[in-house]
Order: sequence, then C-alpha cells, then structure tokens
Amino acid sequence: MNALIISAVFGVIMMFTGIFVKQKPVTRNIAIAGVALLLLVNILEMSGIDFFKVHTAGFMLFDRFALLFNSVAFGSTLIYFILSAPDMEKVGHYYADYFALIFFILCGVVLVASFQSLLILFLGIEIISIPLYILTGSNKRNLISNEASLKYFLMGAFSTGIMLMGITLLYGATGTFDTQFMNIETEGTSALVIAGMLLLFFSMAFKVSAVPFHFWTPDVYDGCPTVFTSFMATVVKSAAFVGFIRLFYDAFGSIHDDWKLVAAIITALTLLVGNITAVFQQSVKRMLAYSSISQAGFMLLGLLALNATSKEGIILYATAYSLATIGIFAILLKMNDHSFESFNGFARQQPLLAGVNVIFLLSLAGIPLTAGFLAKFYMLKATLESGDFLWLVILAVIMAAVSVYYYFRLIQAMYFKEGDGNAIEVSPGFKLMLVIVAACLIVLGVFPNLLLNWLYF
Amino acid sequence: MTIIQILFWLLSALVLLSAIMVVINRHPVYSVIWLIITFFGISGHYILLNAQFLAVVNIIVYAGAIMVLFLFVIMLMNLNKDMEPQKSKWLKLVGAIACGCLLLVLIAALKDIDINNQIAETNTGNIGLIENLGTVLFTKYVIPFEISSILFLSAMIGAVVIGKKD
Repeated sequence: MNALIISAVFGVIMMFTGIFVKQKPVTRNIAIAGVALLLLVNILEMSGIDFFKVHTAGFMLFDRFALLFNSVAFGSTLIYFILSAPDMEKVGHYYADYFALIFFILCGVVLVASFQSLLILFLGIEIISIPLYILTGSNKRNLISNEASLKYFLMGAFSTGIMLMGITLLYGATGTFDTQFMNIETEGTSALVIAGMLLLFFSMAFKVSAVPFHFWTPDVYDGCPTVFTSFMATVVKSAAFVGFIRLFYDAFGSIHDDWKLVAAIITALTLLVGNITAVFQQSVKRMLAYSSISQAGFMLLGLLALNATSKEGIILYATAYSLATIGIFAILLKMNDHSFESFNGFARQQPLLAGVNVIFLLSLAGIPLTAGFLAKFYMLKATLESGDFLWLVILAVIMAAVSVYYYFRLIQAMYFKEGDGNAIEVSPGFKLMLVIVAACLIVLGVFPNLLLNWLYF
Repeated sequence: MTIIQILFWLLSALVLLSAIMVVINRHPVYSVIWLIITFFGISGHYILLNAQFLAVVNIIVYAGAIMVLFLFVIMLMNLNKDMEPQKSKWLKLVGAIACGCLLLVLIAALKDIDINNQIAETNTGNIGLIENLGTVLFTKYVIPFEISSILFLSAMIGAVVIGKKD
C-alpha cells in the first residue's frame, strides 16, 4: 500500500513540478528521488513497516511475491531514470509530465502485481496502458511515432474490450470478481467459465505480446521514442507477466489441465516466431523488439508450469531481462542511428561501454555466469517439474541457441568490424552506472538467492 | 405474455437489428445513427430491470457525449462518403472463420446457463437505483472507485500532453 499511494502522489507532484520548476536537471532529480523513495518504502513494507493502514477489503493482497516484484520494478525504473532520463529532454516539451505519466504507470504496476479482484486487474492494466499510449505518441512531429501510438491505442482498446468480456462471463458464471473465491473446481467447469478464461487469456497474451497476438509489438516498439521503448519493453512487460501469472495462479490454478495445452501452443509459437524473425532484422531497435517477444516466450514457460519454481523464476527473469535491456537501450540512445552498422568499431572507441554491452547481450542470450542464464534455467526447471512438456523444453533450448546468433551479431559488429562509427560522448557517471548494472547481472548470475530469498524471509 | 415480456422482446429485436445495421452499413454517419438507436434500446432494458439511473446515464454518456464525439470526428475527417477500402477475398474468409469460431464458443457458453433459477429481476430488483448504487460504490467498492481517479487523472494529463500546442 505504501508504494501505491506514494507513486500516485508523486505523479501529482511531478505535474506541479512542470509548472514551478523550469530547470530540467532539477525536475529529473526530483523524479529520481521519487523512485528512490518508492523503492525504500516498498522495502520497508517488506520488512513489515506499513505507513498507510488501508483496509483493502480483499481487493488487493500485498504478499511477498507482489512486494518483491514491486521492488524489482522500482529498482529497474530507478536505474532507467539515472541512465536515460536526460534523453527524455529531446522527445518534447513536457519533460515533467513524462515523469508524471511514468509514476502513474508505476502505480498501475503495483496494482497489477497485487490484485486479488478482477476489477483491480482491469484498472491496473488500464492505468498502465493509457499513459503508455501517450508516451508512445509523445514525439508529436514524427509521423511514425503518431502511427505507433494510434496502432497501440486501437490494439490496446480491442484487447481491453476482450478482457472486459471475459471478466463479464466469469462474473456471470461465478458471481464474484474475487480471484480467491471463484471456486471454479467445485462449481464445475462450465463452458461459460472456459470461454471467460480464454478471453482473459487472449487479452493478457495481447498485453505481453505473445504470438499470435504480437503483431503490434515491432511497429509500436520501433515507432515509439527509443527512451520510452526502453521502459515499455522492460518494466511494463514484466508487470503484465506478473499479473498474468498471478491471475492464472489464483483463479484458474485448479483447472490447470483445461488450459495448459493452449498455453503450451502459444509458448511454442512465441519462442519460434520471436527468435526466427529477430534473426532477419537490420535495426538494433527492431531486433530488440523481436527479442522482447522471444523473451516473453521464456516467461510464458513460467505461466505454463505454474509452481513455486516458476514464481521464483519469473522474478529472476523480470530482473535479468529488465536490467540487461535497459542497459542496451541506454547505450543505443547515445548512437546516431539504430542500425547494426553504427556499432562497427565501437569497441575501439568506447572499450568500457562495449564491454558492459557484451555482458548485457550475454545475459539476454542466457550464457552461464550471467543472471539471464539462471533465469532461463529456472523457467526450464519449472517446466520440467510440472511434467508433461519435455518437447517444449527442448524447443526452448534450441531457440535459446538461435537467439545467440542475433545477439552475437551485435558483439561481432562492435569487436570484429572496422568502422569509423559515430563518436559518442558519455559522462563518467553514465559509465559507472552501466558498470554497476552489469555487476548486478553477474552477481545475480552467481548468487540468485540474494534476490530470491526475499520471497521467503 | 405480460406487457414486460412483450417490451423485452421488442427491445431485444430492436437492439439486435440496429447493432447489425451498425456493422453492415457502409456509410459512417448512418452507422452512428444506428448505434444511437442501439443505446436507446439498451437503456430501455435497464428501465425494465428497474435501473432508471443506469438508463439515464447510458443515454447521457453514450448516446449523448460519445456519439457527438463520433459525429464530430467523422465530419472533421470528412468520412461521410462511402469509401471503405476493399479487402482481399482471403482476408474476408479468414475473418469469417475466426469470428464464426468465437460465435460458436460464445453460443456454447450461453447455452449452458441455467436460466431457471437466475431470472432477471424485472421490476423487483433495486440495485440500479441511485441510492443503492451510491451506497455500494462508497462502501464495498470504495477502493476501486478511488483508484479509478488515478486512471482519469493520468488520462487528463495525457490529453493535455498530446493536445497542447508545442
């Protein structure tokens, strides 16, 4: 509850900052302080210190899983602000308002991670989506950004409509919005429940861009101003996943057998299409968009398995994926264009940046000693523990091997190709922050329990 | 057949007919007019369920505000001619199959409903009255109610960010 209220309050504070504070660095520092405060109060709540005694009446449940994910999301946002907030200045004139919108998105993230009622899930998804439509179209003079925003808005509105239809059918079948009290196994699985559940499944698959509901993703991620793509592809996407898993764990865990085949087919398609299409991309930004689809395929394994390991895995995966992707996007933002060629000869110009970039890419590809490897490992382990889907595990391993190809293409461009590249200038603070992020990835890759123990103690 | 039943069937037929007309009409302005008729029909259903407040709000918000917005957009973008782009035959076929499957699933779902013990509370239910609605909204559902204010606030900021001149 701490984080929910304070993030909403900080959204309002950032609004007023836009009126009273004219210097952009001050605005930025207020936002960074705000996220740091959010992270702090959330960690305090994990240790049992709750500032706001609000009776949530069964609408929300702030359990360890939700609180730990909130911490991960706030930590990622803090790093994202420190690395990329200066680049938001170039997007448009409403610097403080962009921060306000991001704080509201964080509010939605808290809701989606901790809902216990379908109403709150719906509100949370909408609070995440509506500011994102705006941020996608925030580069108003750029037609591609406008197109991406409109496309995202229409697709998002459709999928929200489908979600509402699903919620309505479920309410009709069970008479409650509360995911804990649906009693689906005792009521029996009527066609009404199944239809409602599948509609909810499809709309959530839209939000996490699982194949075949992924068609909006590359265009939107590509058209969106890069600095906001970074946030959208990481924090928001992992929040949607946490909501997805929470929904199916709480409400439909008892009828797992009825939907796991659908989930398996969608996972397999997501892994296949995401990885194979990413191979053919010429722009790093678009490659990262497809890579986010393929990473979604791995996170879907956690949904499919639905056991304790998959809950650990999704937290670790969200952390590893968010940190690495935010890092790569922060470097990409400094480049003049987004093609693979612009990275030619990068290692000679900026040996340190190239080095940390390699760690991010290795983590995304899932090479041992990085957090990405253990995240993938937990997902595969969870799937194996759940029994049936050996073929899917084999497919996932093969696809992880395919993903090495397109991640290493960037490494190859940086280290083994000659090129004048583009001379970029970065501050020492930026470099230090990137090194810290890379260090986090390696530490988590060796001692994942530093993070996962928070789930239990 | 009581008068309520006759009204129910009449309104249902009206809603279904006008909803179909919204979709098959090629002229956007006529589609919007049919949509308004659909909303009025649904408001009639609300009144049959003794939910006068919902009926009035439905007319004010949907038939009033949102429809006016639709008409404005259509007029400003000069869409008031028959200019729907032609889709390929395969696309139409795929769309028909997909929507047909969804229809089948929904019909199967609705067929299952046990209608004997869950009849509509015509004239007896009172949850749609403004007093009861307000009580529920500010007691049981106060948390979602308050949270939705965050949603509207972010939407307002977004509208200003998008709409203001640079």
